[in-house]
Amino acid sequence: MADHLLDVKDLSTYFFTHAGVVKAVNGVSFTLERNETIGIVGESGSGKTVAAMSLLGLIPDPPGKVVGGTLMLDQRDLRTLSDEEMRAVRGNDIAMIFQDPMTSLNPVMKVGKQVAEAIVLHQKKSNSEARRMAIAALARVGIPDAPRRAEQYPFEFSGGMRQRVMIAMAVSSNPDVLIADEPTTALDVTIQAQIIDVIREMQFEFNSGVILITHDLGVIAEIADKVMVMYGGRTVEYAPIDEIFYNAHHPYTWGLLSSLPRLDASKKVRLTPIEGQPPNLLFLPEGCPFVGRCPHELPQCRGEWPAEETVAPAHGVHCWIPVDQRLALRAELPHFKEPAA
Amino acid sequence: MTSYIIRRLLQLVLVLFGVTLITFSMLKLVPGDPAVALAGKGASPDRIAYVRHERGLDRPFYVQYYKYVERLAHGDLGNSLYSGRPVAELIREAAPVTIQLAIAAVLIELLGIPLGVYSALRQYSFWDTTLTTGALIIWGIPVFVLGYFAMYIFGLKLNWFPIGGAGPMILWVVPAGFQSLKTLVLPALTLGLIEVAYISYMQRASMLEVIRSDFIRTARAKGLSERQVIWGHGFKNAVIPVMTIAGIDLGALIGGAIITETVFNRPGVGLMIYTAINQRDIAVIAGGVLFATFFFIFANLLVDLGYAWVDPRVRLED
Amino acid sequence: MAKWDSVKPERDLYGSNLTETPTVDARRTEEVVEETVETGAKPLGLWADTWRRLKRNKLALVGLGIIIVFLSIGVVETAFYQAHLHIRSSSDTRANSHVAGYLAPYDPNEVNYALSPQGVGSPPSWKHPFGTDFLGRDVLSRVLIATRIAMLVGIIAVAIALTLGLLLGPISGYYGGAIDSVIMRIADIFFAFPYILFVLLIMSVLGQGFQNVFIAIGVLGWASFARIVRGQILSVKSMEYVEAARAQGAGDVRIIFRHVLPNSMAPVYVAVAMAIGGAIVTEAALSYLGIGVQPPESSWGLMIAESVQYLASGNWWWLLFPSLALTTTVFGFISFGNGLRDATDPKLKE
Repeated sequence: MADHLLDVKDLSTYFFTHAGVVKAVNGVSFTLERNETIGIVGESGSGKTVAAMSLLGLIPDPPGKVVGGTLMLDQRDLRTLSDEEMRAVRGNDIAMIFQDPMTSLNPVMKVGKQVAEAIVLHQKKSNSEARRMAIAALARVGIPDAPRRAEQYPFEFSGGMRQRVMIAMAVSSNPDVLIADEPTTALDVTIQAQIIDVIREMQFEFNSGVILITHDLGVIAEIADKVMVMYGGRTVEYAPIDEIFYNAHHPYTWGLLSSLPRLDASKKVRLTPIEGQPPNLLFLPEGCPFVGRCPHELPQCRGEWPAEETVAPAHGVHCWIPVDQRLALRAELPHFKEPAA
Repeated sequence: MTSYIIRRLLQLVLVLFGVTLITFSMLKLVPGDPAVALAGKGASPDRIAYVRHERGLDRPFYVQYYKYVERLAHGDLGNSLYSGRPVAELIREAAPVTIQLAIAAVLIELLGIPLGVYSALRQYSFWDTTLTTGALIIWGIPVFVLGYFAMYIFGLKLNWFPIGGAGPMILWVVPAGFQSLKTLVLPALTLGLIEVAYISYMQRASMLEVIRSDFIRTARAKGLSERQVIWGHGFKNAVIPVMTIAGIDLGALIGGAIITETVFNRPGVGLMIYTAINQRDIAVIAGGVLFATFFFIFANLLVDLGYAWVDPRVRLED
Repeated sequence: MAKWDSVKPERDLYGSNLTETPTVDARRTEEVVEETVETGAKPLGLWADTWRRLKRNKLALVGLGIIIVFLSIGVVETAFYQAHLHIRSSSDTRANSHVAGYLAPYDPNEVNYALSPQGVGSPPSWKHPFGTDFLGRDVLSRVLIATRIAMLVGIIAVAIALTLGLLLGPISGYYGGAIDSVIMRIADIFFAFPYILFVLLIMSVLGQGFQNVFIAIGVLGWASFARIVRGQILSVKSMEYVEAARAQGAGDVRIIFRHVLPNSMAPVYVAVAMAIGGAIVTEAALSYLGIGVQPPESSWGLMIAESVQYLASGNWWWLLFPSLALTTTVFGFISFGNGLRDATDPKLKE
């Protein structure tokens, strides 16, 4: 087995609620290398955020618990670490950027201090040294006039600037893995591209592996090297970026792609939404969670979860539809009719 | 913060105007002719007319109100209809007793903050359930009920504390000596316990909200220890709203102190008002209410300014 | 009145309010759970959803039970009281004075010196489970009949306050501007008085008696309802569905009462529950101070005031039972109010 920066195998995270067991993440596997970006795509409730929080060991327990799998970061299984060891990993080896920069910063603490705090903690610097480094980190993520801004409070920053602060905080300790959970969803479209650029620059600077969680395939196309498509707590398809866009094999991935506009289409292709509602995770079917919404459902789909089928190098899919039938079905979809450029 | 202070002071002026206007109107609305009352029993119509004119009681309402405010500004709250003594003098004698009780209760009240935080951090534990249920029960007990039970058990039955009165004080409100302190214990605990219940309940709710917030998640994701997360990031955010609540609740605390005094027979403003109620001495009632209201308004102002100083969102706003 | 206000106070009365801060606005860490659990679940109706969550809160259910019990006692005793009054006024007083209530075992006003040998009542016994007072009156019967006054004050006073609040709050919140400023500044003045002292002042002008208690508590209570309703209206008035209604040409009144208020009532219901508890305490305090309900009428506060004059002789029962009734009732309303707030707070949805 090749050494990966991060090697997640069969991760399962359940929530034990009054109403029953919620299998939020159910046997998810992926790997990540330095300088690589993996996009995790799925609707809300597909388990992408829970998967990321599991990596950080931040699943609220109770009711949640990581119930299975291995999470290898540089030969260490994160699941076997003590609380204290795990704290040394958080913010140091694995850092995370959250979705809503408006609420993710402490409103009554100066932003410089919020950044410096992680530096003091993980790099054992003195307060004044950490402060200097925090200002440098703020400047690096593109905050103008950083020494002055470091003395300000979050409410004095715009949304985009706050997200830059979050990034500065996350990269301040040169993390191996940077998790960005919907980092641009709460921002204006014009700011989104800037933030993605900053994340990229930081990745380049620190050789980090990036996990980008999003429901926006546009962002994925821009930055990811490979993509994991999640549905109902399961990985339904896992492939290099080009494969996902041009050789998708899972009906759910087709659905995601069909709901995106295509710039390269020579004629107008109607955007088709995916019919139906995301599944109730309390009552997941035994088999494929996409049953009920899948337009091509087969009888066996309700029986058992299909094994991974490799359809191209590094491209796996979990689907009961035989591969030739799948290709034929795909060829009928308006989105795929236009040959890729 | 400057503009905040200016706005707050403008509001203060408006509130003082409103409060004095209401109090003055109440004095005017009392049934009966004040000139008749002032002239004394069996005064002749000429004498009554003379008093009316001399006191300006025949002038328009706004002139009378103006004169009233002018007198207030000079510390003149009028005279008791019963004893004839100046109300201001009665209040000056009674105020330290009341303020002593209020301060003692505030000091006890502050215990609610650690209790609430403790409850929140151990949500649904045995102690949390006990404290929360206890707080809800105590919060609803009228202060005079709790006072009489405390008096019955610890004063009359166990004989640990005196059942009433107030002892001598030094530095205006500090109990001078052990016996004086003992008279304060039951009233202060009675009033303080109710406030502790309320503040701990509020602090718990506020802390629960904060520890579920995004920035706490951020702090955890940084790798901070749970103690750093709670005390470094959570606590200040959770206390700020409770400070506001406590500031507003000072009104209830002062009202509670007034009633507590009637229970323990403490010669403060409350007992003064209570006695005046029985004597139908509206001048003393209005004076006492006005004094307590001013006290509340200024105490609340201090809390607000302190709050504004602690919260950068208010301090730095211009 | 702060304790009985159900909303968190907006910090300063003009500037930055807390709702803009993460402290109040934040989503929970458990959003990860929420995200998963809520997904795909059929949306329940607002009331069904509230009830489902209220049911899990044992304290709130206890509170609701207490409210129902005391409200029932109040209704039954009121019915009795009417009948009683009728009999008394229609014929010989003495012959009919031994009328027991539907629940009360004895006439609450029946004086019997034999039952108060030393003039300090007699302790609980099988015939008089709550004992008797200094006039030999049955304490249980008096506690029961006093429930009527407590409930009447709670409901009528709060109804007056609510009506005023529902009139002024929407005007303030919907129109804003000068009208809003005037109404809210007047509310500030009302909040500047320590509540019980304000009531006391009004009562000393209106004069004692329990009708005046309704008026004083009712008229002073408007400000907190107006503030809550105004805040709610401000938060919903710019929402799309209100804009949509306006675009369709709906009039202001229609928008306020059909579109805005129904969507902003949850905190008002909470405030009503808390305010009833507060009004009951206030009535008790006023009666205790001697300017509320007057003897020989019975009120919990008045019974406490009567009993404590004889406290040194050890007649605990006469203090205990009205105190218990008062405290239990108030606990019921607070507990239910708090539970209702938790159950309707969208931030606490799981």
